[in-house]
Amino acid sequence: MKRIVQVFASLTAVLWSATSLAIAEPATGGVIDVATIGEPPTLDPMASTADLVGIVTQHMFETLYTFDAEWGVTPLLAADMPQISADGLTYTIPLRAGVKFHDGNPMTSADVVASLERWMKVATRGKQAAETITGVEAVDDSTVKITLSKPFAPLLSLLSLNNAAAIIIPAANAAEEPLATFVGTGPYMLKERKPDQFIQLVRFDGYVSRDGEPDGYGGARKQYLDEIRFVPVPDPNTRVEGAVAGQFAYVDQLPVESFERVSGGKTEAILLKPFGWPVFVMNTKEGLNSDIRIRKAIQAALAPEDMLLAAFGSTDFFSVDGAMYPEGYAWHTEAGTEPYKPAGDTEAAAALLKEAGYDGSKPLRILTSRQYEFHYKMAQVAAEYLKAAGFQVQMDVVEWATLTKNRADPALWDIYITHSPFLPEPSLTGIMSDASPGWWVSDTKHAVLGAFNAEADPAKRVLLWADVQKAIYDEVPAYKVGNFNALAAQAPDLEGVAPAPWPYFWNAYFEKK
Amino acid sequence: MLRAALNRLFGMLVVMALVVTVVFVIVRVTPGDPAAVMLGPDASAEDIEQLREKLGLNGTILEQFANYVAGVLRADFGQSIFLGQPVTQALMDRAEPTFFLTIFSLLIATVIALPVGILSAYWRGSMFDQAATALAMFAASVPSFWLGLLFIQFFAVHLGWFATSGYGGPGTTLFERLHYLVLPAFALGLVSSALITRFTRASMLDVLNDDYVRTARSKGMSEWRVVLKHALKNALIPILTVIGLTAALLISGAVVTETVFGLPGVGNLVVSAVLRRDYPVIQGALLVIAGLYVLVNFGIDMLYLLIDPRVRY
Repeated sequence: MKRIVQVFASLTAVLWSATSLAIAEPATGGVIDVATIGEPPTLDPMASTADLVGIVTQHMFETLYTFDAEWGVTPLLAADMPQISADGLTYTIPLRAGVKFHDGNPMTSADVVASLERWMKVATRGKQAAETITGVEAVDDSTVKITLSKPFAPLLSLLSLNNAAAIIIPAANAAEEPLATFVGTGPYMLKERKPDQFIQLVRFDGYVSRDGEPDGYGGARKQYLDEIRFVPVPDPNTRVEGAVAGQFAYVDQLPVESFERVSGGKTEAILLKPFGWPVFVMNTKEGLNSDIRIRKAIQAALAPEDMLLAAFGSTDFFSVDGAMYPEGYAWHTEAGTEPYKPAGDTEAAAALLKEAGYDGSKPLRILTSRQYEFHYKMAQVAAEYLKAAGFQVQMDVVEWATLTKNRADPALWDIYITHSPFLPEPSLTGIMSDASPGWWVSDTKHAVLGAFNAEADPAKRVLLWADVQKAIYDEVPAYKVGNFNALAAQAPDLEGVAPAPWPYFWNAYFEKK
Repeated sequence: MLRAALNRLFGMLVVMALVVTVVFVIVRVTPGDPAAVMLGPDASAEDIEQLREKLGLNGTILEQFANYVAGVLRADFGQSIFLGQPVTQALMDRAEPTFFLTIFSLLIATVIALPVGILSAYWRGSMFDQAATALAMFAASVPSFWLGLLFIQFFAVHLGWFATSGYGGPGTTLFERLHYLVLPAFALGLVSSALITRFTRASMLDVLNDDYVRTARSKGMSEWRVVLKHALKNALIPILTVIGLTAALLISGAVVTETVFGLPGVGNLVVSAVLRRDYPVIQGALLVIAGLYVLVNFGIDMLYLLIDPRVRY
């Protein structure tokens, strides 16, 4: 009898664990259509910093490192975090064994060296890193060493980003310029691309995932779906209708004012809160804004609360916040944000203008576009507050391609408007580069940013970041307006998609019915 | 007839030469930079300059123009900066939806406009005529993209009969893809029908009181035979012209409609090329579109000769 009970107990245990596994492990299969804002300008993620390029290609290509759910750097194709020498000049990176490219060949250190060399030659972020990298070499088949001329803490973040990305491709393809063979190590591989119609990615059966659980962009990458199809739908109204009709499993970047309409449709509205920050970049090189007193007057005049309300319509979609990183990010600090006044300070702005000797004869030129309607709406409100403070304002409203061209010429503008997601590494923000339009160059900047970039200890870097933020508020190379949320839509039975600035679908699956 | 055709062909060549020059100049004087679009928002000025050099955009305008003209003479419109394929290939890839959209819209427009226009003229001043005129004025005033959005909301979202946008995924058959054209074809066709209706009515009114129509009636012919065989035949020239021009307009890609419905046609290609400043595609596409216009006009002129032997060029 005892034996029968034992057998029954064992059987029950086996059945229970089998059932649990069946419940825990989502079903494999399914195809999703993802509506995107358009056709990516390229499928070479090294060649562009555009978010859309990163969103699509991160499924095909992988980097040595990536970001976990807390935006910390975590290994992806690397086996582990690098061994950094005591002087911070050498990074020894162990590579994962058994990783295969989509063409079936194994990834080796030779591929990594060739890829990183291409990255330093081709990619905007690679060129930035190349200024401090003196060599990339293969130590053995599964180890790579990067040598620097001076300590450079942002290196790991640069190696982790998915745009202008340090992707690893076969050495044989690294000489291609532009890249024509889209062979990576990612969980999905390119099957067919019909420009402006679809990009079809299918599961890569030779993919070897990391162990453990998914963790942001890092951890295990599951391949539940058979196919992911990115469908360009450039018209925002059509994207909204597509979401309401349930035509797509995921719809990216919807206008926030469509929240109610999308919520009442066949897909669920997804808010990424907060997504990013709109910014007024000042031209510190030429014209009115080369005078720091004028920049400070602008800082005092602007009323972010009204600007954000005009741009996003409801406090559900924005927050008035002067800190460069919102609460929840390791980089969040209020240091130096005192000049950020939600309602503006017209009197203080007028006084600063008078002190600067501004007589109103020269207009303050705001370069903006209606590509992103919220840029334009913010500019309209800003113009009124600036006029109230005594500025003569000239709005130069152009379309986006013209803006990207004109902002490179310091003779053409005083302020240009753009936005950015909260980048995991603060030093990657545009104004941190001396060469970025705005051309912020100062001894204070170089001192605080130099110290921040040279420090390897994450805790110390957080403290040093406060100094950088303070310098931004002291010298006003840019004006952060606040935080805004992004709206997307997702099929109710699609699971495993975490809200992210660059949405990814390798862990996505359809809920069993 | 041959001499007239040769005259017209010479005129076409002059027009095309002008088009090549004007399009090139307009594209180059428009601000914007394909290199900046390609590299994304965080690219440095140095990177942009390097890419411009690589794309051959840093030569003088005259050098670039000479290269472009040499290419056009070899029927080589160059390589798309963003699509990684020759412009000719990109245009051929986009021809299918635009071609079928044109055919369907034109068919819808003509099937509606011809009978309505003829009946309006025949029953001039009647309730039917007034209602048809009002509807035609309404259709002519409605932008096709607005009608398109209404159709999407009602037929795609509310009734679920059609997809809101797109042209089918991988592996879809031609028949399945054509299903995606129903809503845009009706949106375009209804708007186009207004103009054809008005021209048909006006043209029929011109001929319905002519002597030969009276003669036909006096011979005891049935009324519909008089209208359809005698009057309509003579009213056809202006109607054909407007149908031809509508066709040319549609072939050139119903730019906004294709964008609203996410159709990967020629119009959509032109819009995205303009937004990205894909110079070779803009130039190649506009040249082909202009060529099609010129060809359609040539075809209409030749049809005039066939329909009405009195026409001389």
